[in-house]
Amino acid sequence: MAHEPNQHAHGASHARALPADLGTPPFVGTWKNRALTTGAIFSVIAVILAVLGQSQDPEHLGWDHLLRGWTLGLVVTWGFAVGGLALLMVQYCSGGKWGLLLRRPLEAMSRTLPLVFVYWAVVAIFMKRLYLWSRFTSASDTAAALKSGILNEIQAHCLDFKRPMLNPNAFVWVSLLCFAIWGFYAWRLNSLGLKRDSVGPETTPYWIKKLENISGPGIVVYAITMTAASICWMMSMDVTWFSTVYGLLFLVEQGFQVLALGIIVSLLLSRAEPFRTLLRQTEQHDLGKLAFAFVMLNIYLTFGQFLIIWSGNLPDEINWYLDRIRGGWGVIITLDFIFHWLVPFTLLLSRDLKRNKKRLILVCGIMIFAVALNQFWLIEPNFKDAARNLHFSWGILEYIAVPVAMTAFWIAYFCTRLTARPLVQTNDPHLAEILEPEHAQA
Amino acid sequence: MPAREGTYGLLAEFDTPGDLVRAARQAHQDGWRRMDCYTPYPVEEAAEAIGFHRNKVPLLTLIGGLLGGAAMFALQTWISVLAYPINVAGRPTYSWPAFIVPAYEWTILWAGLSAAFGMLALNGLPALYHPLFNAPNFRDGATTDKFFLCLEALDPKFDLAEAKAYLQQFHPNSVVEVEY
Repeated sequence: MAHEPNQHAHGASHARALPADLGTPPFVGTWKNRALTTGAIFSVIAVILAVLGQSQDPEHLGWDHLLRGWTLGLVVTWGFAVGGLALLMVQYCSGGKWGLLLRRPLEAMSRTLPLVFVYWAVVAIFMKRLYLWSRFTSASDTAAALKSGILNEIQAHCLDFKRPMLNPNAFVWVSLLCFAIWGFYAWRLNSLGLKRDSVGPETTPYWIKKLENISGPGIVVYAITMTAASICWMMSMDVTWFSTVYGLLFLVEQGFQVLALGIIVSLLLSRAEPFRTLLRQTEQHDLGKLAFAFVMLNIYLTFGQFLIIWSGNLPDEINWYLDRIRGGWGVIITLDFIFHWLVPFTLLLSRDLKRNKKRLILVCGIMIFAVALNQFWLIEPNFKDAARNLHFSWGILEYIAVPVAMTAFWIAYFCTRLTARPLVQTNDPHLAEILEPEHAQA
Repeated sequence: MPAREGTYGLLAEFDTPGDLVRAARQAHQDGWRRMDCYTPYPVEEAAEAIGFHRNKVPLLTLIGGLLGGAAMFALQTWISVLAYPINVAGRPTYSWPAFIVPAYEWTILWAGLSAAFGMLALNGLPALYHPLFNAPNFRDGATTDKFFLCLEALDPKFDLAEAKAYLQQFHPNSVVEVEY
């Protein structure tokens, strides 16, 4: 049978139009105000808890707990800022239409680095309350502390042995260097991202290559600086312990939390233009699948670390886990396992859930909560009063109050950053594709 | 079972997935049920347009995965605790952390095998013969760049002349009659 002449107009005519106004919808301002209120309320609560905790016998740890909670808040907000930068770089290298939904939110996250620096500065100022190595800075100090029973033999040995890396000067300089590097990449990618939109579409291939060339090495540099920072800030709270996968764990955790927040932000933004037009179920589904991959990667690394140390069963390694399992801590790690892996894993398996905005937002919220719970489990047992001894005190509630306040202020800052730019990068070949009907692409 | 002779159906060829989906959606709305879409790559909206219904492959995958994981965990427990209890560095014989990795691998393996073979069992593949391959344009285009909608003769609404006129209204490249 002969083919008949084709008089029908196809494809492109069915594409949706990009909204004229690509600005942030007004409700982001409401988010900001709510975040500021929450931050203020929880700051007051944090101070009250610190005073209560300080007066509580026998520990008098109110202010110490505030500082430990502060470290948790630092790690979470740092994860959003630097993790956002990392995912932005990964996206520039990998490509993909999902990136168009996340790029501006990720840029906004990376531009919150100044606030994270302020958070870090507080830890640097009060480091003596958090890190053993900042209190015993010479061999004679440790020897005296060992004699008077403040330190045990292993701690004294580790302090002396690791002093070249773990000392106040190294802590400050390594951290400053890391911030400088992250700041440089954030500035470079953000300014180029804006410049890219100010020129015509004939330059697109140039920009794709250019941003890829910056981001590729950037990911390697990020992995190195992340490892250094996570060792200095977190792992060194227990001077006796080490794990070579520690930096990678933080790296994956950052991907995990940034993706969760990115999904929440883009789904909430899709209640209004321009994301209402831009967000298709296909890309939402893709983001859900990517989050699922991070859920798997995270359990793979955390369980791998546990399995290796459990198999070795060496006295200088296993204590770190025993501090975090015995004396009630088993409950926390079980909850961590449930919220960090079991719940997101089983729920994200479902195709329908990944395509349902409300439920996907709920799962992502659980994921972010799990990140904070996991950091609590990492931080608190480092200290003598809590190792193998999970117990209630007013101070321990600081782990809720301080991070909530810090994250709330961070969110307010993030909203300001998000409002500063149009929500969509227009000089991108994917824009035309994402505006097509869902079935029009391979 | 109807006799395997005569007309299998009418095959309309389209250039774009968009046209196919619009035609399929309309046909489904107009009451057509015995029909199918053929595309060079998965077009989920085409499946939805002709009334995609859930199949049992996800359930089979889940059951396969759970059984695989449970079987491997049980096997290791049996070996280590009952059959050949060995003292490994003073650890209890029931050392579950060591059992997780193989159990996990078997979960993946059996979930994958259940999905693949469950899919084959449920969709009737491998099929040695299909009437649509009698159409030359289907042979050439179905795996490269054409999108097909086939109204099957088994549908109660099917009448050769009417169905042909019906398909023409979607402006396909061609409408061909396919014999069994």
